[in-house]
Amino acid sequence: MKLFIKFDFNTVCRKVLEEKLIQHNIKHKILGFGEVDILEKPDTDVFKAFAEELKGYGIDIIENQKSVLVQKIKDTIIEMIHSPELVNVKSSVYLADKLSHSYGYLSNLFSDVTYTSIENYIILQKIEYAKQLIVSTDLSLTEIAFQLNYSSVAHLSTQFKNATGITPSAFQRIINKRREIANKK
Amino acid sequence: MDKDYIHIILADDDEDDRLLFTDAFDELKINTKVNTFNDGVELMDYLNTPDAVLPNVLFLDLNMPKKNGIECLYEIKSDDKFKDIAIAIFSTSSSEEHIEETFVQGANIYIKKPSDFTTLKKVLAEVVTINWQYHTSGLNKDNFLLRL
Amino acid sequence: MELKRIYKSSIFLKSIFVVSIFVIFFISAVTFKHISLVGNSSSRVSHSYEVSLELERLMSYIKDSETGQRGYLITRDSTYLTPYLDSKKKIDESFEKVKKYTQGNRLQEHNLRKLEFYISKRQNYLSLTLHLAMGKSLSDKRLKEKFDIGKQTMDSIRKQIDEMNLVEKKMLKAREINYKDTVKVTPVFIYLTLLVTLVLISISYIRINKDLDRLKMTNNRLALLNESSNLAENVGSFGSWELNIDTNEYTLSDNNYSLLGFKPQGFFASQENFLKYIHPEDLNSFKEATDKLVKNVSLPPFTYRIIRKDKKVRYFRTTGRIVINKLGDKILIGTNSDVTDEVLASLSLEQQNLELEASNKELVAFNYAASHDLQEPLRKIQTFVSRLSEKEGNSLSETGKEYMERINNSVERMRILIEDLLQYSRTTKNEKVFEDTDLNELLDNAKLDLAQFIEEKGAKITNQSLPELKVIPFQIQQLFINLINNSLKYSKAGIPPDIKISCKKVTAADEELIPKSNKEKFYKITFKDNGIGFEQEYAEKIFVLFNRLHNKNEYEGTGIGLAICKKIVENHRGFISATGKPNAGATFTIYLPEETEN
Repeated sequence: MKLFIKFDFNTVCRKVLEEKLIQHNIKHKILGFGEVDILEKPDTDVFKAFAEELKGYGIDIIENQKSVLVQKIKDTIIEMIHSPELVNVKSSVYLADKLSHSYGYLSNLFSDVTYTSIENYIILQKIEYAKQLIVSTDLSLTEIAFQLNYSSVAHLSTQFKNATGITPSAFQRIINKRREIANKK
Repeated sequence: MDKDYIHIILADDDEDDRLLFTDAFDELKINTKVNTFNDGVELMDYLNTPDAVLPNVLFLDLNMPKKNGIECLYEIKSDDKFKDIAIAIFSTSSSEEHIEETFVQGANIYIKKPSDFTTLKKVLAEVVTINWQYHTSGLNKDNFLLRL
Repeated sequence: MELKRIYKSSIFLKSIFVVSIFVIFFISAVTFKHISLVGNSSSRVSHSYEVSLELERLMSYIKDSETGQRGYLITRDSTYLTPYLDSKKKIDESFEKVKKYTQGNRLQEHNLRKLEFYISKRQNYLSLTLHLAMGKSLSDKRLKEKFDIGKQTMDSIRKQIDEMNLVEKKMLKAREINYKDTVKVTPVFIYLTLLVTLVLISISYIRINKDLDRLKMTNNRLALLNESSNLAENVGSFGSWELNIDTNEYTLSDNNYSLLGFKPQGFFASQENFLKYIHPEDLNSFKEATDKLVKNVSLPPFTYRIIRKDKKVRYFRTTGRIVINKLGDKILIGTNSDVTDEVLASLSLEQQNLELEASNKELVAFNYAASHDLQEPLRKIQTFVSRLSEKEGNSLSETGKEYMERINNSVERMRILIEDLLQYSRTTKNEKVFEDTDLNELLDNAKLDLAQFIEEKGAKITNQSLPELKVIPFQIQQLFINLINNSLKYSKAGIPPDIKISCKKVTAADEELIPKSNKEKFYKITFKDNGIGFEQEYAEKIFVLFNRLHNKNEYEGTGIGLAICKKIVENHRGFISATGKPNAGATFTIYLPEETEN
């Protein structure tokens, strides 16, 4: 038997983070978007053990200020794509507004750290979200295009193909065939 | 970034291709470590040693003596310890059906070997970048399909 | 038809027969009655005579007795008494006879009773007078008185007998008339009977004669038919057979024997005897097939080998079915045909086909391997040339740079050529799977594939809705890519390409391009562009491999793209054609059958 699971990465991380903070008796306040306010600085040993355990879950503590900002940019972009009311908002305006930095600064910073532009990252995330919708829902490509604020299916398909090299229908076919194979095993 | 380099392996029986491949990574500014193997058997032997350092991305040529790329793909996909490796098929041209079939069998990336060096560099950089994004942005690796 | 008529006529004859018998019976009954009537009449006549005669006799006896009595009275000689005494007895006898003859006739019986009374009265007086005379003389007064009464009585008797005779005479006369009538009618009746019978017999005769003629004709025709069927069997080298399942009676036509190398009726026809000539290896399958025939009523043709009398092996094909005749017998009828030539021809054809297929496969494999393997060194040449010009380009002279550029162009062209060739050989390899596919999706994919080129050219592509068909998806997608690509490539400089794709369902008969023998329904998909077009005379040439209409410096192209299109369409049992006019655009029409897979 094989299960197909859809999960919310953020919820999982938040839960794990909360459990570990309580376990190590660290006074804290979770701010969301990968940000935790430590109210009382713990012992270096305790903090090291805490960081080590989080790493086991694939959660890294980012200390660098630049990296923190990049992470915020990424989180904001994901938030925009996933929430229906923000999908129409222009991303450069929204990012600058939310993170209190000029878009130019954020854009340069992002490219420096990630070797890719904010625009590319947005496309990547949108396509990833489209993939997730193709895989885990019965929505048609037209519905998905609408939900992701594409002007047409053709637009979505073109961007999908540019980003991944394959068409959405080929993607769907491949995933379906993989499932068939998995079910046979 | 804790790990300061990206580990890359290429299995290809063609000496020229191995040379061009390592040259391209040398010229790219990304911090990578590239290992190459001459055929599928050598590759699998290495991967199955207990203290092998598993690569982030594994490039497989399809047409290799002894053990070809598809055979390696089957073996890697059927072993759970290799599940984190992104697999890139690195081949001369193939039919659309054949390409789709390699994806179905579990390949993440299909690269048609470019016919000029600049394109090669560009393509390799893209693979590494996107793979890195999958790695760092918590994207669903099951949905990682890329054709270049 | 003929037989049916004869059958009907036999019913007619039967009914005539029954009717005739009935009529004859009826008539003979009537005749018999008449004849017996005649007999009756004659006997009655003779009866009347007898009565009269007897009455005369009676009269004479009475006279005798009177004469005897008188003789005695006169002579007193007792010898005269003898006739008197005798006559008394005779009178009684005669009277009884008359009584007997007239029995049943009431008038005569009545007369007879009167007569009896007079006779006995007369006799009484006779004896009385005799008694009186014994003692007295004849002149006695009393005696005379008695004589007178006796005489009166005698007169009464005479009168009575006359009366009776008269009655008899009257009766006789009446009977004579009656007899004469009957005797007159009887021959007429018999004659009529004969006439009717004759008519019936004549009708039957005519009818039978007619039927006989018809039967003869039918027989002639049957004989002719038989002859021609024999001839047909000879020419077509087949023979027919019959097997009555209920009686196990087996009949073989003459040609069956000659097919087995025998003279007609050369062996006793039975299933066992026929089985002897079947090739031992095919015996079981033959038995199985015939068993099936009995069960399934009809038998699809099956082929087996037989060994002729002269030991030659021949191929026979047998087919048959069960019919039930008028008697209700199940009869297996069928034909055996000698199909040796056909089988051998098809065997050799099969062999040739296999060889052809093998060599074709080899060719495809060679083409594939060659083009595939050629790619590798070519790609390296390209890569190293690109590295060379990148790294060392600056140290080259202008001519050197130009040479590099030319090398690059040639290599690039070769690469495209090889790639197209590879594509072509892939389409030729016919091991593809047909799947139900939405052609709209394939068209969308094709457009996506060409998105960059389409954008560069600023092309507009519009299409009608396409059907869902069972096709080889990648091939149809390739077909669409090649056709659109072709239109983009051969567009007019400065004018954005406008490609219109339309689709409609058509029947083969309505389309000139599809052979008339084809009965299927097709989807006709047309790609119409506003490009540079071509001269109509080249419309067929453009689908031939490596055929190009333009100089390779004007328009790039390998002359393979449309050949691939043709191949793909043929793989789907479809048709492709092109029409064009220079500077007015080209139209490509493809027909894909509704049922693509056979």
